[in-house]
Amino acid sequence: MTSRLNRRSFLKSSLAASTALALPIPAFAQDGVLNVALIVPSPAADVGWSHTLELGTKALEEKYGDKVKVTLLENIAEGPDADRIMNKTVAEGTNFLILGSFGYMNGGLKLAEQNPGLSILHASGYMVAPNFSPFGARYYQGTYLMGMAAASLSKTKKLGCVGAFAIPELITSINAWTLGAQSVDPSIEVSVVWVNSWFDPASEQEAAKALLAQGCDVIFSNAQDTPSVVAACEEAGAYVFNLNSSMKAYAPAKYLGVVGTDWAPYFIQSVEAHLAGSFAGASAWLSMADKCVFVADWNADIPADIVAKITEMEAAIESGAFSPFTGPITKQDGSEGVAAGVTLGDDMILSMDWHVKGVATPLPQ
Amino acid sequence: MNAIEFILAGMLAAATPMLLAALGELVVERTGVLNLGLEGMMALGAALGFITTYTYGSHLLGFGAAALGGAVLSLVFALVVLGFVANQVAAGLAIGILGTGLSSLFGKSFESLTITGLPKLALPLLSDVPVIGPTLFVQDIVVWLTLLFAVGLWAVLNHTKLGLMIRAVGENPHAARAIGFRVLTIRCLAIAFGGAMAGIAGAYASTVYTPLWADGMIAGRGWIALALVVFGTWQTGRIAFGAVLFGALSLGELVTQAGGVNIPSQILACVPYVVTILMLAVISSNRRRMRQNTVASLGQPFQP
Repeated sequence: MTSRLNRRSFLKSSLAASTALALPIPAFAQDGVLNVALIVPSPAADVGWSHTLELGTKALEEKYGDKVKVTLLENIAEGPDADRIMNKTVAEGTNFLILGSFGYMNGGLKLAEQNPGLSILHASGYMVAPNFSPFGARYYQGTYLMGMAAASLSKTKKLGCVGAFAIPELITSINAWTLGAQSVDPSIEVSVVWVNSWFDPASEQEAAKALLAQGCDVIFSNAQDTPSVVAACEEAGAYVFNLNSSMKAYAPAKYLGVVGTDWAPYFIQSVEAHLAGSFAGASAWLSMADKCVFVADWNADIPADIVAKITEMEAAIESGAFSPFTGPITKQDGSEGVAAGVTLGDDMILSMDWHVKGVATPLPQ
Repeated sequence: MNAIEFILAGMLAAATPMLLAALGELVVERTGVLNLGLEGMMALGAALGFITTYTYGSHLLGFGAAALGGAVLSLVFALVVLGFVANQVAAGLAIGILGTGLSSLFGKSFESLTITGLPKLALPLLSDVPVIGPTLFVQDIVVWLTLLFAVGLWAVLNHTKLGLMIRAVGENPHAARAIGFRVLTIRCLAIAFGGAMAGIAGAYASTVYTPLWADGMIAGRGWIALALVVFGTWQTGRIAFGAVLFGALSLGELVTQAGGVNIPSQILACVPYVVTILMLAVISSNRRRMRQNTVASLGQPFQP
C-alpha cells in the first residue's frame, strides 16, 4: 500500500511508532498471536521448492488472519548460521517453526528439546521428537502419471532425467516415472544424468542438452529449483516436466505438466494441533490422498485415451487402490525387486537404492 | 548428434566464462597482485548483466553494466591493497564474499527469471567442414570475441611496451619504479581491468550461456578461473587451452553419463578437475621455464 504522506498521517504514524517502541519486544507485543517462522535455504522466488513452502504459510495467514504472524527467513545457509538464526527467532517469540531443508535438522532438534512449548516441522528429515515432525512428499505418485504421459509422446522411446543427487527420494521418483512409462510402452528406456549439485543452473542445462543429444525426447527436471532444464528443453523442442511448482510460463509449448506440492493442508492441520495443545511429533510422508501431491498443467498434445487412463490411475493412487511400487518389479540388474502381488512398504521406498529395469544409467554406488 | 559432436558444439561456450575471468586475472597477477575475489566479481557481473539485459533488452548494455560493476568492486579491492597496503589474500576473499552478497541483494527481485541468449554465428567457410564445421564453428559472437581477445592479450603481453611494463611491475616493482614506472597506477589499472573482465565473464554466464538469473549460479567457476591462471603458469595460451579442456571434459562427463557408461557419476564429476590439473602440470613441468614464468612479486605488498 502506498499512500502519500501528509502532516496529519505523519503525526498519526509517528505516534503509533512511538507507542510500539514503548513495548518491550515486537514479537511478544500482541497476545494471542501465533508467531510462525519459515526458514528456507534458497531465495523464495516465483517458482521452486522455497516458493511452495511460502505458499503454504500464506495459506496459514489467510486462514487465521491476525491470529498468525508469519516471518519468512530466506536464503539461510545450512549449518551454524542457520542454528543462530533459528535460536534468535525463537528467542524473539516464535513458537511454531518450519524448517525448509534437511540440513537444519540437528540445530532444530536441539532447539525443540530446549523449548518444549515450541513446535517444529522439518522438511525431508527422519528424526522425530515430541514436538518435532519431519515431513515430505510422495513425489513418486505423481511421477508415475508423468511417465504415462511421457511414453505416449516420446517418438524415440528414450526418456531422460537430470537429477541433483542420487538419494532415495530422487531415485524413487525416477523409478516410478520409468514404471509409469513402461505401463504404456514396455520398450521405454530412461537415461539419467546426475549433476551432483543442488544448484548449478549451467551444468543442469548442459546435462539436459547432453540427454537430448543422446536422443531422449522427454526430460524430467528432478529437483532443480530454477527453470534451467525447463527453458533449455523448450528451446530444443523437447517435452519437459518438473517438481513442486509449475514452470509452464518458461515452456509454453512443451511443458508436459507439473508434479506439484501443496503444503497448506498439512501446515494448517499442524498449526491447528499446536493451538489446541495436541501437537505430537510424527513423520508425515504426504500423498495425493493428503491433498499434498498433485499433478496439473497437462500438455494438450497428450492423446485423449492416455489422458483418460491417467485420470483413472490418478484416482486409483489417491484412493490407495494402486501403488506404483506393486510387484512384479524387476531391478536394473535383472534380479527381482518386488515379488508379484506385493506392494513395497514405506520404509523400503524411503531407503530405495536400486533402479528398476529400463533405467539405462547405472546407479552411482 | 553423437557424443563427440555434442562436446565440440558446447566446449567453447562452456569455457568462455572461465576464460574471460582468467584472462583478466592473468593481467592482474602479471603486475604482482593476487585478487582472490573473482567468484564474487563474477557473481556481481552476472547479476548486474542480467538485470540490465532484462530491463533494457540489450545484451551490450548488460555487458557494459557488468564490466562497470566488476571494475568498481575491484577498485574497492585496489583501495584496500594498494592504498592501505593490506594483505591481498584476506582483502581478495573479503571482496569475493561482498560481491556474492551484493549479487543476491541486487538479483533478489529477478530470481528465476529468464531471457533469450544471443544467436549463434556460423564462421564462413569453416562451418562447411563436415562434423566440426556445424558444431565447433557455430558459436555466439562472445565466444569468437573472447578467443580473438586471448590472441590480442598474448600479443600485448609479449610483444608490446605495455606488456613489458606490466611484466616489469610484477617482476620487480622497486626496479620498475626506479626506471620511472608508476607501479601503483599500473597495478590499479590492472585490477580494474581484471574486475571488468570478471564482470563480463559473469554476464556471459547469466545472459548468454545460461540465460537466467539464480542466486549462486556462478557455482565455483571463479575459483576454477583462478586455478587456471596458476596451473597455466601465467601464459595466455596455456590458460586458454586449460579452459577449453576443462569445458570439454565437463561436457564429456555429462554425455558419458547420459550414454549409460558404467562409471559412478561422482568419479566422472572429478575427471575434469583432475585431468585439467594433470595436463597443465605436465606441460609446465620444465623447472627452468616454470621459474621464468612465475611472477616474482606476486602477492607482495609494495610501498614506494
